[in-house]
Amino acid sequence: MNQYAAAAARILDTAGTSGAQYADVQFWTLRQEDVGVRNGDVRNASDTSSAGYGVRVLVDGSWGFFGSDRFDDASFDAAAARATAIAKSGTKVSGRIPAVVPVEKIVAHYETPMTKDPASVSLSARADLLLSAERTGHVAKNVISGYAFMTIYTTVKEFYSTTGSVIAQTLRQAGAGCGVSALGRDQDVQTRGGPGDFGLYQGGGYEVVERANLHARMPEYGREAVILADAPALPSGTRDLILDGSVLNLLMHESIGHALELDRALGWEANFSGVSWATPDQVGKLRFGSPLLNIHADNALPLGLATVGFDDEGVKPERVPLIEDGILRAFLSSRDTAAQTNLPQTASIRAQDWASVPIVRMTNIELAPHEGTLASIVADTKDGLYVAGIRSWSIDDHRLNFQFGPQIGYEIKNGKRGRIYKQPTFTGVSPHFWGSLDRVAGPEEFVVWGTPNCGKGEPEQAGRTTHACSHARFRGATVGVKTGA
Amino acid sequence: MLKAAAGADQAQVTVTISDASYARFARNYVVQNLGAVATQITLTYYVGKRSGSISTDETSPASMARTVARARAIALRVPPDSGFVSLPKPGAIAPARRSYYDATADATPDDRVEKLLPLFARMNASQLSSSGFTTTQINTVAVANSLGVRAAFTGTMSGLQLKAMAEQTSGFAEFYSPDYSRLDPQALAERAATKATLSRVPATFAPGNVTVLLEPSAFAAALKALTEGMGADDVLEEKDSWMVGRIGHRLFSPNVTLRDDWSHPLFANPPFNPQDGVPTEKLTLIDSGVVKHFVSNTYSANKYHVANTGHPNFPANGIVEPGTKSRDALLASIERGVLISRTWYERVVDPRQATITGITRDGVYLIENGKLTKTLKNFRYFVSMIDAFKNIEFSNTQVLTEPDDDTGYSSVLPDAKIANYHLAAQTSFA
Repeated sequence: MNQYAAAAARILDTAGTSGAQYADVQFWTLRQEDVGVRNGDVRNASDTSSAGYGVRVLVDGSWGFFGSDRFDDASFDAAAARATAIAKSGTKVSGRIPAVVPVEKIVAHYETPMTKDPASVSLSARADLLLSAERTGHVAKNVISGYAFMTIYTTVKEFYSTTGSVIAQTLRQAGAGCGVSALGRDQDVQTRGGPGDFGLYQGGGYEVVERANLHARMPEYGREAVILADAPALPSGTRDLILDGSVLNLLMHESIGHALELDRALGWEANFSGVSWATPDQVGKLRFGSPLLNIHADNALPLGLATVGFDDEGVKPERVPLIEDGILRAFLSSRDTAAQTNLPQTASIRAQDWASVPIVRMTNIELAPHEGTLASIVADTKDGLYVAGIRSWSIDDHRLNFQFGPQIGYEIKNGKRGRIYKQPTFTGVSPHFWGSLDRVAGPEEFVVWGTPNCGKGEPEQAGRTTHACSHARFRGATVGVKTGA
Repeated sequence: MLKAAAGADQAQVTVTISDASYARFARNYVVQNLGAVATQITLTYYVGKRSGSISTDETSPASMARTVARARAIALRVPPDSGFVSLPKPGAIAPARRSYYDATADATPDDRVEKLLPLFARMNASQLSSSGFTTTQINTVAVANSLGVRAAFTGTMSGLQLKAMAEQTSGFAEFYSPDYSRLDPQALAERAATKATLSRVPATFAPGNVTVLLEPSAFAAALKALTEGMGADDVLEEKDSWMVGRIGHRLFSPNVTLRDDWSHPLFANPPFNPQDGVPTEKLTLIDSGVVKHFVSNTYSANKYHVANTGHPNFPANGIVEPGTKSRDALLASIERGVLISRTWYERVVDPRQATITGITRDGVYLIENGKLTKTLKNFRYFVSMIDAFKNIEFSNTQVLTEPDDDTGYSSVLPDAKIANYHLAAQTSFA
C-alpha cells in the first residue's frame, strides 16, 4: 500500500520548485489478460501490463501533463519539469479561462468488490470454457466462423497531490462475448453475437465472465445467424420499434451519454469528438425525451464498468440526475467544467492510463427501469419490430442525428414475433426519438451493460463506460434505410 | 530477451518506444497540453503451435526473465492454434527513407504553443472560435525473432488540425508531415477561416444522388471501406470482404489505381511489417480499375498458402494515384454539387458491397457553376463504394492524411470527385 509515496514526494517537490501552484501525480499498474478463440483454435492468449505515472501541474491557471514509465530519480525530476514547462507554455495565450486550483485533501482507499478472483481460474480452464462454448455455435454447415473471448482488467492506482491527498484504488473489471457468422445461398455473410453490443463488460472479477453465459448464447446465435444469412432485408417504413437492451444501451451511450459530457457542450472537443446539441443554459428547460426518460450518472453503481472510489482528479462520485421525467437536469463534468457552468460535479474525469491526460467521460449512466418485461412489451405491440445485437452505428458530431444497424430484426404482428429480417436499420433525431419512448421494461430485466473502448480525446483514449438499462419501445420509428445506388 | 527465451521452439520480441506531445486548443486557447514517453516490449513464446504473449514496459534484466517465464507458462497451458505454422525467416529489408527530422524531435512546449498564436490571432480577428491540436512525435519500432529476423525503424511525425467555428458555420484545415518545420499555421488558419465565413447561415439542400468533391480527409474515410476488407483474413477466412470473387475483375473506373508503397516521399513509414518484421512488398492493389491483390502477414500467408506481402491485415501505406486536373479544375467541372471537407462516424453497413454510412462535419458547401457558393447543413450519406469508385476522378495533388483512429496509419490521397453520391438526409445544423 502506498508504495510510491517517496517517488510522489520527489515529483511534487520538483514541480513546486519548478513553479507549479498545484500538482498531482497518479501511479498506475495496469494489467489486461486476454484469451480469444476462433473456429476451434486459441488465436490469442496474452497478458499485457504496464506501470507508469502521470503528472498534472497547474501554473497560473494553465494545466500541463506529462506521463512516463521510467522509474528512477532523474526520470521523476524530468517528468515533473516537463509537465511544468508544458503548463507554462499555455500561459502565453491571452484570453484563456483559468483552471480551478484544487484545495481538497482526501486520504482514502477503494477496491472493486468481486466474488470470484480471476487468479483462481487457470488459463487452461479459461481457454477450455471458450473453446467448448465456441464449438456449440457451429450448428449448421453454412456456419463459417465462430468466436469467443474473455478479458480481465486489473488496475492499481495511487494518487498524490500537493494538498496532501493520498488515494489508493484497486479496480477490477471483466468481459466476455461470442458470436457466429453464417454464409447465405447468395454468398451473403451475416453475424450474430453478443451479449450486449460487443460482450458483457462489468466491474468485478471472474464472475462477470460466468455471468455472460456463453454456452447458453452460442447455439442461439448460431441458429439466428443461419436464418439471417438467407433472410430478406428489412423494407423501409415506419414502425413501432422495440429495442433490446443490447441495442438500447449503445443508443444511450451515443445519443445521451456523449451528448451530456460537459467538455463537449463547452466546445473543448469540437474538433474531434464533437459538441452537443444540449447546452448548459438549457438545464431545467430542455425536453430531451418523454416523461419515461430518467437518466442518472452514478459512478458508484454496483457492477459498473466505470465504477470507482474517486475519479482521476481525486473527486468522490455522487449519484446525480441528468434527465428527470424527460427534462435535462445536469451534465457529466469535471472540476473545471463544473466551475465554468455552476453545474454539479459528477466525478467524471478519467484517463485511459498513466500516459494519458484525464478528460471528461460519460463513465456510468443508467436509464431507470419502469415496468413489465420484454415479453409483455412484445405482447402489447400490434405492428412493430424488435431488434437485437449491434452491427453498425453512426451519429453526428452534435449527437443529434443517428443511424443504427442491429444484427437481427423480428417482425411483431398482433403481439407475436414473426419473420426475421437482416439489416434492420433505424434512424432518428435524439429529442424526437427519445420523445417517442412509451415503454421501458422493469427492474427484473435491467442489465449493467459496459463498453470497454469508447474513443475520445486527442490523442485518442479508450474509456470504459456503462449504460445500464432494460428494454424499451419507441413509437413510429423510421426503419429500413436504403442506399441510393 | 530472445536469449532468455532460448528454450522456446520459436520466439518473437517487438519493442515500441514513443515520445509524443500534443497541445489541444478550444475557444482560441490551450485547454489540454500534454506529453508522454512510453515503452512497450512484447514477447511471444511458442511451444509447437501453442503460444503465449506478454507485454510489459519493464526493461530490467530481472523483469525480462519474469516476462519469459510468464509467456512460457501461458504457452504451456493453452491449446494449440492449428493455423500457426512458423514465425518468418529473415528477409532483405530495404533501407528506410529519411524519416527523422530534428525540427519535430526537438520541438519544445513553447514551440508548439507559438505555432498556435498566429492561428488564434486570425480566429480572433474574424470573431471565430477554434478547436484542434498540434502534435510532435518520435516513434520507434523494432522486431526480432529466434529465426534471425532483425528490423528497426525510428521516425518523426507532426501535424496540426483546425476547426474554425462561426456562430452557425465552420471550416476545417489540416496538415501532417514528418518535418514540423513544413507546417504553416497561418495558411491553415486562413483556409479554415475562409471556409467558415463563406456563409453566415447554412442552407438546406435536397438530399439525393449528387456529384461530390471529397477533400482528402473525407476521401480517406470513404477509401477505408475498401481497404479494411483487403486483408487475407477478410478475403480467405471471414469471406465478408468486397474482394471475394472479384480479384482480376475490372470493377472500378480506369482512374482508380491504389498502390501500397512505404517509400512514398510523404510517408515516414517502416519498410517492414511492424507486427513480425517481414519486408513490406510494394504492391499495386487496384490497377486502373482492375482488382489485383489483397495483403497478408506471416500467419495468414502460412495458413492459406499465399504470398506473404509483409503487411498488417490491411494496406498500411495506401496511395491513390492522382489525376490530371488541378483541384480547382476539378471543382470548376462541377455544375452543381457538394464539397465535403470531413466526415464522421463512418461505419460499414454491408462489407460485401463496401456500403458505408456516415455524416458530414466541419464544412459542407454547395458548388454551383464550378464555385463554392454557400455553406450547407450536414448530410447523412449511405453509399456503396463499389458503385462510387465506378464514377470517380482525382485531382493532380496528393496530401498525407491524418493517421487513422483504428490502424494508426496514414494514406497519401488526392481530392476525389464522385458522381451519384447518395446523400440520404440533411441535418438541422452545419
